[in-house]
Amino acid sequence: MAKRECGVVREMSDNKFKSSVLGASENKSFAMALPAVLWQGIFLYVPVVFIIGISFLKGLDGSVFKNITLGNYDTLMNSSYFITIYRSVVLAFSTALMCLILAYPTAYFLAIKVKKYKNLLFFLLILPFWINFLVKAYSWFFILDHNGFVNSFLIKIGLISTPFHILNTPIAVYIVMVFCYLPFMILPLYNSMAKIDKFLLEASSDLGATAGQTLWHITIPLSMAGITSGFFLVLIPSFGEFVIPTLLGGGKTMYVGSMISYFFLETKNVFLGSAFTCLSGLALIFVALSIYFVFNKIGKKNMGVK
Amino acid sequence: MELRRKASSFILPSFVGLIYLFLYAPIIVFIIFSFNKNPYSLKWHGFTFSWYRDLFASSEVAEALTNSLIVAFSAVFLSVTMAVFYVFYGLGSFLNRLTILFYGSLIAPEIVLATCLLSVFSFLNMPLGIPSLIAGHTLLGLAYVVPIIKSSYEEIDNRLIEASMDLGATESQTFYKIIVPILLPAIMSGALLIMIISLDDFFISFFCSGPETLTLPMYIFSQVRTGATPIVNAISTLLMVVSSLLILLLTSFKIKTRFF
Repeated sequence: MAKRECGVVREMSDNKFKSSVLGASENKSFAMALPAVLWQGIFLYVPVVFIIGISFLKGLDGSVFKNITLGNYDTLMNSSYFITIYRSVVLAFSTALMCLILAYPTAYFLAIKVKKYKNLLFFLLILPFWINFLVKAYSWFFILDHNGFVNSFLIKIGLISTPFHILNTPIAVYIVMVFCYLPFMILPLYNSMAKIDKFLLEASSDLGATAGQTLWHITIPLSMAGITSGFFLVLIPSFGEFVIPTLLGGGKTMYVGSMISYFFLETKNVFLGSAFTCLSGLALIFVALSIYFVFNKIGKKNMGVK
Repeated sequence: MELRRKASSFILPSFVGLIYLFLYAPIIVFIIFSFNKNPYSLKWHGFTFSWYRDLFASSEVAEALTNSLIVAFSAVFLSVTMAVFYVFYGLGSFLNRLTILFYGSLIAPEIVLATCLLSVFSFLNMPLGIPSLIAGHTLLGLAYVVPIIKSSYEEIDNRLIEASMDLGATESQTFYKIIVPILLPAIMSGALLIMIISLDDFFISFFCSGPETLTLPMYIFSQVRTGATPIVNAISTLLMVVSSLLILLLTSFKIKTRFF
């Protein structure tokens, strides 16, 4: 009898065991678990469906069926709005790429090379991650302004005589985007590299691989998970970025984020705005999936060494 | 050969040094300018504490701070409570499979979440303000705190629970004396994370705070847009000090969150 019971317990999953022992079994009180799920449903999933639905309407008066139209999408396709999506894709992709290029050596150094003061260096690296985004963007005013730090410095050492105008240009937007999103790339990279067994790297060099071969065949494949998640952590929020183009781009060049807020908050054209949101969402999903496939291919390719 | 090796062992550290410089130089310059005497210049005019004094005297800042703290604490309380209940009562049942739903608000760009919330509130004719902000921040908070508490709950050794029941504890005693203490570090770090995220959030505040409710990020944004005085630098410096203390606390819990 006791033996059978033991078997039953083992057959149950861990979670089932915990809840059945504690009397929180299915029929009794799963209602207590519902608020979290409902909250998620009401404030996220229902609205998403709602926005998709509304993007096919031209108004709300009269019956719903009379208002169904593809006109919103037609307007978007035949206008300059469409180019903002393209521009945001380019900005998001190039930001993610630059962050990867800058973050990979940094994370490698911190996770694998450095031995002294590792905790302090790591703490200093995660700190900017948590500084208010607005503050981070605004701090660049003091650096990039034509009376600012960079220009004063360059004039002082005599490299230039008249100040550069970097502020309110796409270059400023790009620099600050990379600055703000760099920690999003470094942390997942660091996490995946910290898990790499150091003996593998030693073995590789003992067996005659050059540093480059070790990097390409051992370190990069083993940190592929970090590369992928870091890339998406940068790509997705920077696609919808609003603050940086508004503050440092002078609001002249429109990106997806500024476009959506223009539709919803300024013109209050919810129908066109919803269609634009859906269209840019689709573009983002498409880009993300293609990048995911490429990363998957690279990961598999150099995992199978020769 | 020796020289080359020496050179290459020097390249990586100096590259990393430049990255640290890139990450910190703007912030340090920014902090220095919170002590600048001249309010409308980007040149240094001398040291003063007056912006910090103005900051504490400003009723606008006080209002924004109060609103932000109300929203942050409510979001922390709501999402932590709901997450603990979800994990404790839901994991044994079919609801376990719905955990993936919580990742939705992490995957979607925040601007999409904000427009969704805005559309719900305006469609239901509910006034925008503190309630809509709490709804949005709790949505974000759940996405962070459910995975943290879940993984910590799954790590609890079943033998502890068995032992407690064998030794005659009731179910609720086991819950409060065994499970909750074990989950406490996860709960605390989740709460801190939500606190920081809520104070930092811009999009949901921008879309859903309505015309009358002023929050801290909105205050900073409107100031920066119209030409800010060093008060903004001062308040941001204080915010940075607070959030770095919170991070120090958070790392001391040694709980694996999504980003550490």
